[in-house]
This record gives sequence, structure tokens and C-alpha cells, in this order.
Amino acid sequence: MRRKQLLSMFMLVLGVSLLVAAMTVGAASSATQKAGKTGAAKGGTLKLNESSEDFDYVDPQIAYRTDDWSMLNVTAMPLVGFPEKSGVAGTQLYPIGATSFPTVSKDGKTYTFKIRPGMKFSDGSPVTAAAYQRAIERVLSPKMGSPVGVNIHLQDEIVGGAAFLSGKSAHISGVSAKGQVLTVHLTSPNATFVTQMGMQWFTATKPNTPYSSQGLNTFPSAGPYYISSRDPGRSTVLKRNPYYKGSRPANPDEIVFTPNVDPDQSLLQVKAGQADLDIVGNVPTSSADLAKTYGVNKGRFWVGASSCVEYMSMNTSRPPFNNLALRKAANWAIDRPAQVRLLGAFGGQRTDQLLVPGIPGYKPYNVYALKGADVAKAKQVGGSAIASAATINFVHTTSAVSTNRAQIAEYNLKQAGFHVTDVPTPATTFYQVVGAKDTTYNFTSNGGWCADYFDPYDYLNVLFDGRTIQANNNVFYTYFNNATWNSQIDKAALLSGAARASAYAKLDQELMVKYAPVVPYVVVTEHFLTAARVHNWIYSTYFGDPYYNALTVG
Amino acid sequence: MTQFLIRRLFWAVFLFFVATIITYLIFWVIPADPAALAAGKAASPADILRVRHFLHLDRPIWEQYYYFVQNLVVHRSLGMSFVNRESVDSIIGKDAPVTASLVFGGAVFWLSLSIPVGILSALRPRSILDRITMTFVLIGISAHPVWIGLILSFLFGYKLHLTPIAGYCNFIPGSPGAQCEGPVQWAYHMILPWITFMILFAALYVRLVRANVMETMSEDYVRTARAKGASERRVMVHHVLRNSMLPVVTILGMDLGLALGGAIFTETIFNLPGLGREVISAYNADDLPVITGVVVFSTICVIIFNLIVDVTYGFLDPRIRPS
Amino acid sequence: MPALEVKDLATTFHTDDGLVKAVSGVSFSLDQGKTLGVVGESGSGKSVTFLTVMGLVDPRHAQVSGSVLLNGEEMLGASQARLRQIRGATIGMIFQDPMTSLNPVKTIGWQLEEAVLIHQDVTRKEARRQAIEILKEVEIPRSDQRVDDYPHQFSGGMRQRVMIAMALINNPEVLIADEPTTALDVTTQAQILRLMGRLQQEHQMAIVMVTHDLGVVAELANDVIVMYGGKVVEQANVDDLFARPEMPYTWGLLGSLPRLNAEGSRLEQIPGQPPSLLNPPRGCPFNPRCAFVMDVCRTDLPELRRSDNGEEHYFRCHLDDETRTRTWEAKHAALVSKDAAA
Repeated sequence: MRRKQLLSMFMLVLGVSLLVAAMTVGAASSATQKAGKTGAAKGGTLKLNESSEDFDYVDPQIAYRTDDWSMLNVTAMPLVGFPEKSGVAGTQLYPIGATSFPTVSKDGKTYTFKIRPGMKFSDGSPVTAAAYQRAIERVLSPKMGSPVGVNIHLQDEIVGGAAFLSGKSAHISGVSAKGQVLTVHLTSPNATFVTQMGMQWFTATKPNTPYSSQGLNTFPSAGPYYISSRDPGRSTVLKRNPYYKGSRPANPDEIVFTPNVDPDQSLLQVKAGQADLDIVGNVPTSSADLAKTYGVNKGRFWVGASSCVEYMSMNTSRPPFNNLALRKAANWAIDRPAQVRLLGAFGGQRTDQLLVPGIPGYKPYNVYALKGADVAKAKQVGGSAIASAATINFVHTTSAVSTNRAQIAEYNLKQAGFHVTDVPTPATTFYQVVGAKDTTYNFTSNGGWCADYFDPYDYLNVLFDGRTIQANNNVFYTYFNNATWNSQIDKAALLSGAARASAYAKLDQELMVKYAPVVPYVVVTEHFLTAARVHNWIYSTYFGDPYYNALTVG
Repeated sequence: MTQFLIRRLFWAVFLFFVATIITYLIFWVIPADPAALAAGKAASPADILRVRHFLHLDRPIWEQYYYFVQNLVVHRSLGMSFVNRESVDSIIGKDAPVTASLVFGGAVFWLSLSIPVGILSALRPRSILDRITMTFVLIGISAHPVWIGLILSFLFGYKLHLTPIAGYCNFIPGSPGAQCEGPVQWAYHMILPWITFMILFAALYVRLVRANVMETMSEDYVRTARAKGASERRVMVHHVLRNSMLPVVTILGMDLGLALGGAIFTETIFNLPGLGREVISAYNADDLPVITGVVVFSTICVIIFNLIVDVTYGFLDPRIRPS
Repeated sequence: MPALEVKDLATTFHTDDGLVKAVSGVSFSLDQGKTLGVVGESGSGKSVTFLTVMGLVDPRHAQVSGSVLLNGEEMLGASQARLRQIRGATIGMIFQDPMTSLNPVKTIGWQLEEAVLIHQDVTRKEARRQAIEILKEVEIPRSDQRVDDYPHQFSGGMRQRVMIAMALINNPEVLIADEPTTALDVTTQAQILRLMGRLQQEHQMAIVMVTHDLGVVAELANDVIVMYGGKVVEQANVDDLFARPEMPYTWGLLGSLPRLNAEGSRLEQIPGQPPSLLNPPRGCPFNPRCAFVMDVCRTDLPELRRSDNGEEHYFRCHLDDETRTRTWEAKHAALVSKDAAA
């Protein structure tokens, strides 16, 4: 009996001491890591977490998520792009892979880029115009099945694009490369084309890069970094491109992305210095505490506006919201601060317009009530039409956030005198319900838009051109189609420079004053915590992320 | 023995079909459109149709299932992910060892803890040790692994700097992009996951062992052994332990098989790239092939472990030895 | 010197619901080669008595008093080590249910060898030889092969033979058989009893035969103890007991004995349930079921007193001699006439 107990106790003690031993080993090894710290600005490994998700693709011609883009930007050598600078300076497009902005033919349809000589891919091979031709072809090739090109209707913009996409030709007839000269023929004049070429999709791509519907995980790239390894769901490792000679920063030796981290654990890791940054951002509920501890934008806790605007949509194709007065009334009725509070501390900035700060043409207007619901004004604007309006079919998805948001919005609408029926709809069927042209929904609190490319065209033309309405699978649920507006946005799209900016600024205001098809309420804010050793924070509104190549560790 | 194995094999095939058909049916019932997801946020109906055709999603569900089975039987392939078009075989091949190190490591911990503690509790019911043990059992069974995991990380990882907060290192060095590797780092990173994963099972097994030992001690043959003049030690070792461990072996086999299918919470909390975390992300992305792949793999694990249990049981218990 | 002598034995258990006086005031002595029958219903304390004698009640839960002398050596209070030496060597025990009394995961050879190896300093080979030998002795055919079988491969009767073999393998002087035939069918019962009789003669053992079957007692025993509610209620030489039982419970037992020549007639039974040991009735434990109950039975426990019928014949009853004589004679006559009628 005694001996049996002793044996059991011994086994227990053995187990415990094994545990302790393992922990001591760990403590010792982490101690040596601490001792190895140096203060160098350049070098080191930047350790980035990506909580709860992973890049879907890292192939630049397939990747379609903003987190993919901010990573790929570090490896990219696009023709034009945004500089790694804060504020307004960071929103000024400049030629990177091209020696200058392209020359445009008189008819506005032929763009000629001169490719900067002497650039090399990470495998040492030279970058020529053919590298950009390959990028465009990979974006549109039927063998790639990529969503990115068709999303901006590139096949219709470039001569021969549609034929190439449908497999009828081996190359795009409108794109030609000779040495360092890239020529692109467009089907019609398009002032947005240069901005579009700034996207990661059109980065220099080795001409022999294969078509692959699965996307490549590693490939030579011409930007400051290249992807040295990628293990989906586990890690993505970027290394400095030894052949990169440009002026863009390339501070860390290595950038490691660890995906799918639990958000709370990720925050702990950053606090403890076991990770440098979570590129998805910190857990929203922790922002207030972080701001209290570290201050805002003072070295550890960073807050910056993104390119994402969220708005509620009204179905303008059927009563009651085919009535402009009622759409305006809804815009007065919605309590924007309450909606922003739902996102938590530093969750966003309230807005009542479509364009976001930093976009050319952004000019803050104050058309509607930003400080809260103005019930009296809503009733006054809507008048007797509110009382006689049919009951609003209010559709929203069923997540906790969506439901809360809808409850507040419904309360606001009722306050103004509307009759509302709440129609919770699971996300899986929501898009079928609101995306069909003959939908019966009237109002939805779900919806928002982040820029594909940082240009007002991507908001005002893309979202409100009624000529793009399809029978099903519409992504814009207002069904707003106005001939005057359509011709205005067409004209604005052809402009460039200051004229373009002021034209879009006017349109941005006009949209909400004359048509009000949506209730914009928040520009989403990104918030991040960095480890103590991280410096040189430069934030990009376009990506909603910092420039990883600019960050320094140590 | 052959007949026994053949019967088992038939059962296994049957289970496989039941499990995969249910998975397909669930996906058919849920109005999800993986093609729309895969096609991108502004895809035209034509684009979605193209993707749908590419993924066979334009076929009726039974035809999709037929393709799945055909693919599995003819090409020994579980297909490829809707989301990143990676081969499901290789996804599972990479994830399974991670889950296995969590499950088997955890099992070693929970068995080496729960067997001695369970026996001691059974030997001295109502003693202080027994009461403390039963309190811990109650806590262990009630506390959610996510909570336990977060608390452990905060305490040992963040406050005391004794362990990493989260993360995984490969046991076998040499994979590209690994930030840490080798047995020592592997074990160091697995300590908290093991403990988290272990607690629930340790609690269940302490209770199981305790109950079995107590039950066996009141068996007639134990009294017989005492009447023969056997010492308490001899009675415990030769008569009580082996008999009381029989049910433990059965349940262990089932638990291991199930757990290999995915230790979802522990893997998510500690960022272990195993099957559980895989199935969660696949679920979020409507990635049917990956989900089906994990279901097939778990089914196979459960079947294999049940087979192992049956065979082992035959060795341990002569009464059911197939002759 | 008697092989086994028990004096004023009492066993009390501590349970969650309070003290349970399982056995009290048991005394008897048993000589070499003799058989003591112990009769009583379930819960009468007969099994507890002999588990106490064996030292198999858990000392943490039980309080034992009195004296148990095995060949003159006091067992109560002996060290666990000494008790282990004695158990299985000097005193062996067979249990009621042969289906559960053998370890299911060990061969019977292993279990027999274990009994040898615990008490004798011999090789495993020698132990195995002894095991095969004793299996032969208990009439198990092909014992040299069956020694490697597991308990589940044996029938109930065969297992009880194995149990007997295991109890006898070290040649004990005292064998306690706790309802050895209860779980067996009638044919097998007779075989086992015959076997035990033969073995007793060969080994000159003292046997305690615990049973609820008076038939078994009549066949095997020299002396009989009748137990009820944890107490000895009658104790006598077997002939005296059957010839002249002195108290109502024993009468009831005799009345409920099936008679081969009384086909078709109903067996008499004692109405009611055995008493709860946790909450025993005041006075005589049998009073709630007794047909002759008097007021005094409900208040005072009758002393164990000596009967004039037979030597060393003791019983507990408040009924006076005359009433008992008259009642027994009437009952006896009825039993006899029933036999005669058949």
C-alpha cells in the first residue's frame, strides 16, 4: 500500500519536474534572445501577426484582399505608385518602375510607358517592358481564373482584352512591349488608367512566369523585397531583394507574417514583444485601454483612417425610397455618432459623404447631421410623405454587430415617423436578396466600400453608375440610375489633375444633396499596437496598413 | 480474426460514406455560394458561373459527391481547396502532425497525471487528497479550454515570461520559412497547449480511473485474492489495476480518434496550424473540399483507433479475444 | 484444542447513515475434521462473521471485538503481515458466486500458482505442478491443459471446483465455504457437496459451511448455528436441532425446507422481510415476523439460554418451555402428517 502510493507520488513528481525543466529551458532561451538585442535601425526580423486570417493568395495577379496588397506592395515594382510618406504627400502618385508618367496620345487612347533601365528581379534577371505586359496578361488570362482584372472591367478598357479573356487570342493585341517601352491601347480615353496601373496586380512580373490558376507562392519580384517562402496557413517570409537599387525603404532584413493568430493572444504577443505588430489591427475592445496606456500615435498605439466608407443603402427603384425627400429624411434621421460608437473606441470617424479623407477631391461637407439624429429636420424634409409611405422592408445580416447596427437605425427611422419591418437575413442569403434587380428590400444597414485604387472614380463612378446594374449579383444595392449623373461622372472621369479633383469634389457633394441614394455614416479607422522596438511608423490610408518596408526593429 | 477484420472493414467503409454524405448534405442545405466568394467581390454573374463550372459547383449535389468519391478512389485525392486551390491531401498532410503532437503529447500528460491521482483518490476516498482532486476535476470539466488557454498564456507567457504566448515550431527542422524548429523549441511551444488540452481530459480521466478502481476493488475476485493472503500491493497490481484499466483503454481509443479530428479550441488559441484550426478557417470560407477532407481524415482516425482498441482489448481481456 | 474457536465476536460498521451492528455475540468452536453449518437469511450476519474471522473486513470502516482463535492463536489484533501468512495457508475460503470470484484476465493456472507462491518458497514450475495436481483432485478433466484456460472458459460448477482447489492448494486446516452451492444448479450442487465431503475426509479439515439451505446442513454438518439479525438465535448439534428446534425462526426454516415426498404442496414461508441492520427492531430481532410474539419480545432481547434437549443446545426465545414444547409438537405433527399424506 505505502509503496504503491510512493510510486504514484514519484510519477507525479516526475511529471511536474519535467514540466518545470521544459519551462526553464524556455526561460533560458528567451533570456538569451533578450540579451542579443541591438539598436540598429536597419536589419533584423520584423515579426507580423495576422489575427484570425491568412493571405488567400500571394500571387500578385490573383490576390484580391487589402491585406494581400499591403504585403505585396513591399515586393512590388509597379509602373507608378504612392510614396512611403505620411499624410497628403503619401497620396501623390509618382512614377516608380516607369521613368516618368506615360505619354498619352492626342486621342487619349494610347499610353506609352518608358521602363526604368537597370532594374532587376530578385533572381538577378533584368526588368523590361515585357514584365509589365506579362502582368496585364496574367491578370486577364482565362488560364488564371483571376477575379481582379474583371472586377475593374479591364478587359473592356484595353483593346483586345475581351478576346484574350475569352481565350480567342494568345496575347492582348492592345499591349505591346519593346525593350524598355510599354505601349497600351485603350478602347476609349480613360484618365483613371494610370491610377489603376498603380495597383499591385500590375507589378513587374518575369515574362516567363507561368499561368497558374492556383497562384504562385514564391516568385522573383523586383520591389525592395521578395517572398522567400510561403506555407499557407503557417507563414509567409519576405527577404530583402539583393538586386533592388531604388530609393524605397527596405529596413528589416526579413519580414515574417504569422497568420491565423487568435486576436487576444496576438495582442499579448505584441505587448510582450514576442511579435511586432498585428496587421489586422488590435482587438477593438482593447483600443480605449491601449490609448490610455500608450497615447494615440505617440510611439506604440496607432490610429489612422482607412479608405473604407460604410453606408446604408436605400432601394431607389421602388417606393418609398424612390422619393428623394424620404431618402434625405433618412439621412437626417440616422444617428451617426451612435453607429460609430458601435465600432468601439477609435473605430471610425463619422461622415455623411462618399469620398474618404486623402482621396483626391475629398472635401469635408456638412450636408446632414453629423452630431446625432435630427428628428425634427427629418420630419420637416420628409413631410407628409413619411406618414403615407409604405412600411420599410429593413434587411440586415444576423451577426451581432449587424443586428445592433440595424436596431439603432430602425429606431432612428421610426423616430422620424417611418414604419419599419425588421428582416434579419443570414449573410449566406443576404447578397442574393439585395443583389437581385427586382428585389423587394427597401433599406439595408449592411454595406461599405474600400478602394481598389486610390481615386474618386473608384467610389463615385464604380458605385453609382446605373448602367452597370445587372439582373442578379449586384454589389451596389441602390439601383440608382440617373442619366444626368451618369453623364457627369463620365465627364469627370476624363479629367486629370486639379480639374479632376475639383470635379469629383463637386460630384461628391451633389450625390448626397441631389440624389442621396445612401446614408454614409463612418469612415472606418484602423488601429494598431506595435512592439516597443518598432519605429518609423508610416501609415497608408490606401492600404489601411503601415508600410512594412519602412518599419524598423531594434 | 480475419472475419473480425473484414467485418470491421465493412463497417469502416459504411462509416466513411455516412460521414461524407452528411457533410455534403449539410453543405447542400446551407445556402452558401463558394463560387461567389472565390470569384471576388465585384464579379459579374458570368464570372461566378465560370468559377462555379471550374469548381463543379454547377452540377447537382449527388454529382459533386460522385466526383469527390471518384477522385478519392481513382486518384487517391481529396480534391483542392476552393479558397486557395491547394491540394487538400497536402493540407491534411501538413496539419495532421501538428494535431497529433498536441493530442498524443496531451495524452501522455493527462494519462501520467490522471492514472496515479485517480488511483490514489480511489484508495483513500474522502481523504483530503481525494477531495482536492475532485474539486479540480469539477473545475477542469467546467472550464472552457479557450478561457484556460487565455489565462495560461497571460500568466505564464505574458506575466512570468516562462513560455511563449502562442505559436508552433516544427519538430523536424528544415522546413522553409520556419522561425523556430527542433524538438526543444517544439516542446517549449507545446507546453501551454498540452496543459490546456490536457485539463479537460485529465479531469475526465481522474474521475474515470477513480470510479473504475473503486468499482474493481469491490469485485469478488479481489476479495478472493485477499483471502489467498495476497498483499495489498499484489492485489492492486495484479488484480485491480489491469481490470480497472480496461474501460480506460476503450475510452482513450475513442477520445484519441476524435481528438485527432481537431482540437479546435486549443489550436485556435495557441495558433497551432493543425486540423482543428484548418477546419475553422475552411468553415468560415465555405471551403467544402477542406472540410470534407478533415471529416474523411477524422473518420479514418476514429475507425483506426477503434480497431486498435479492439485489438488491444483482445490482448488485455481474454473474454473478448477473437479466437 | 479446537481448530477454530470464536468467542463473543461482534462487528460494527461505520456508515454514512450511522453505526451498523452487523454481528454480535457469536461464539462457537470447531474441531479438526468437523463441519459447522451456519444458517440464516441474507443479511443475517453470517457472511460478515466469517469475513471478520478471515480478517477481511476493512479496519477503517469496521470495529471488531471478541476473540477468534485459530489453533489457539488469536487472530483479532494480529498484524496484517501475520494475517496474510495465515489466510490462504491455515485458513481458506470459498465464496458464493464462482462466476465473479475469479480474476477474469488471468488464467486459472496463474491464479492457483499465485496462491502457492504467496505461501510456499517454491519455483513457478513447482507451483504449476501443484496447480495441476489440485485440479485433478477437484475432478477437473484434462487438468494439465485446462490449467491454461481463463475463467470464462469454465462452467459455473467447474469454476467452483477451481475455487475449492484454490482454497485447498496450501492444505488449510480450516475451510470456510460461504454459500458455495447457492449459485449452482441442483445437480452441480450435489456434486460439489460430495466433493467437499470427500476432500474433508482426505485432508481432515474443519469446514464452516455458511448457507441458507438447511438441506445442505443436514447432509454435511456436525453442529449448526442459526443466525438472525446479526445474532445467534439457536446453536446445537445437527441431530438435536432437527429433532427438537427450540424457537419460532428455526421452526419456520424447517417448515420451508422442501420435501422430496411432498410434491404439489406449497412450501411454508416465513412472512415479512429480514430486519434492517441499520435500524433493528427493539427486543427480539425476529419479533416483527414471529407468530408467537408477546409484549416482552418487543422490549427485551431474549438471552441465549441452554436447552434441555441435547447437549450444548442453545437458543433465544421468551416463550416458556411448555408453550414451546406444545407448539413444536403440533407443528412437527403437521409436517409429519403432510409427509404421510404424500
